Amino acid sequence: MKNSGKKKYQFLLLDAGPIIELFKLNIWDEFIDRCDVTVSKIVANEAKYASQELQDIRIDLEPYQDKGLIQILDTDSSLAKSLLNKLPESYADIVHDGEKQTLAILVGSSEDWKVCAADGAVFRVLGFLGKAEQGISLEEVLSEAGLGRALGWQFSKRFREKYTNLGQIDYIQR
Amino acid sequence: MEIGKRLKIARKTIGYTLKRAEQESGIGYTSISDFENGNREPSFSQLSKLADIYKRGITFFLADDIPAEAVPLWRDPPAIDEERKETEAKFRQLCEQYHRLELCTGQLRRASLPKADTIERESFDYLQACKLAEKVQRELLPGDVPSCSLKQILEEQFYVKIFHLNFPGSAISIFDGSFGPAILLNKESKLWRRNFDIAHELFHLLTWDIFRVNGGEGKPGAQEEKLANAFASRLLLPTDSVKDKIESAADSKGNIPLEALDEIAREFGVSLEALLWRMLCLYNTPRQKVAEYIKMAQKMRSIRPPRKSDEPDELPERYCSLAIRALRQGKLSLMQFKKYMNISYKEAEGYLTEDEEFGKEEISISVT
Repeated sequence: MKNSGKKKYQFLLLDAGPIIELFKLNIWDEFIDRCDVTVSKIVANEAKYASQELQDIRIDLEPYQDKGLIQILDTDSSLAKSLLNKLPESYADIVHDGEKQTLAILVGSSEDWKVCAADGAVFRVLGFLGKAEQGISLEEVLSEAGLGRALGWQFSKRFREKYTNLGQIDYIQR
Repeated sequence: MEIGKRLKIARKTIGYTLKRAEQESGIGYTSISDFENGNREPSFSQLSKLADIYKRGITFFLADDIPAEAVPLWRDPPAIDEERKETEAKFRQLCEQYHRLELCTGQLRRASLPKADTIERESFDYLQACKLAEKVQRELLPGDVPSCSLKQILEEQFYVKIFHLNFPGSAISIFDGSFGPAILLNKESKLWRRNFDIAHELFHLLTWDIFRVNGGEGKPGAQEEKLANAFASRLLLPTDSVKDKIESAADSKGNIPLEALDEIAREFGVSLEALLWRMLCLYNTPRQKVAEYIKMAQKMRSIRPPRKSDEPDELPERYCSLAIRALRQGKLSLMQFKKYMNISYKEAEGYLTEDEEFGKEEISISVT
């Protein structure tokens, strides 16, 4: 049934890892019914290609966008440049282009975006950028959306905290 | 420099026409042309797609400065220009990825390779090449069989980046200002051929500043190649140990069966042909005679069982271990790890889930 009330997380940016996991758990439709989901265009493509290597799932987010169920965002290249300008050389290439685009959307906007990822490098960058509170694990999002369940280490709050903390330490020691 | 100009440089460097770039990227011919001419800017997803097919990192298009790039040196470049450029682009991408792994894990190491006594290109002759080989042997290679340790020492002590790919050619070397010395070998080549290729390419790396003063061309001159062969031969087949082996295998009249020579070649990790050419210097064997022996060796090969080779990994051990370390430390994302390791998403995920298990106290080993 379509959720008619206000959705959780008005500005939730999903990375490829959580998207793939939601499809694996077969709760993607339920999830986007409860959360207002935005995906960067490169991440949408990454999730599509990654799912082609998996046996059981096929991910194609465009039909969801066409039906207005999610938003897929592309950005100007200049936004990526402003993100890179904020990072030291050793951080410049630790994340893939999809993750760079997701982080660029967050950094270039005044809205209170939350990035849901399952990647130590993404949380590390958020910690370095002083945006620790704008990162969130899938475990936390599912719990708040009433879809809580046991997940792997990379989807946990502990995982997010560990790597965010490492990014914050890098910033202090830079 | 604007993004458009860099897009054009990247496309030309990999040898793609606009049509080919359209086929590979799915982005229209006119759009790519418009981006290159600065008529409009690509979106981030378009730029990412083009960067991917041109085998460049996104930073190549967005960074303020681009460092000058060294020209790779081919032993035997393919006649088709596109094949040459695509191989070079792939090789450069791997070297840059290796360099980024070193950077993000704080493992950027540089060690100076031994230098030749002569620095003048004009006065660099066979004697200099052999002296350089002796110096490398003395300073770097312990034991009587240099081929056993050459690759390992170059990788571990001098941080030379050595990759293996299937490509039209046998070997390429490069000494780049940003990522340092690197060698690409053909994965399909037999072990003894690759041993010789490493030694040959090592000569180019050691004399890079002598022969490539102004950047140089992608193909060395004939004389430089002869010197590289002399160096490789001298390095892999040290005078005293080879002479010892040959003389102890010879009969009372000083003759040695070709089969015994083949055994010696195997022991030194080189081809029988390489050993026969080496004998030209060791015993002043006439060139004509060596050519005859080589013909006989080719006949013998058809009746003897083939030598065993191996299949080398495309990526160096250190590269893989840095990538795994970077992933576990959150210094490389899973998608980037998948790309760097050229593996599937599922395989990449396996490395991530193990992380927590390795961190558990009950399976840790005490070293105190």
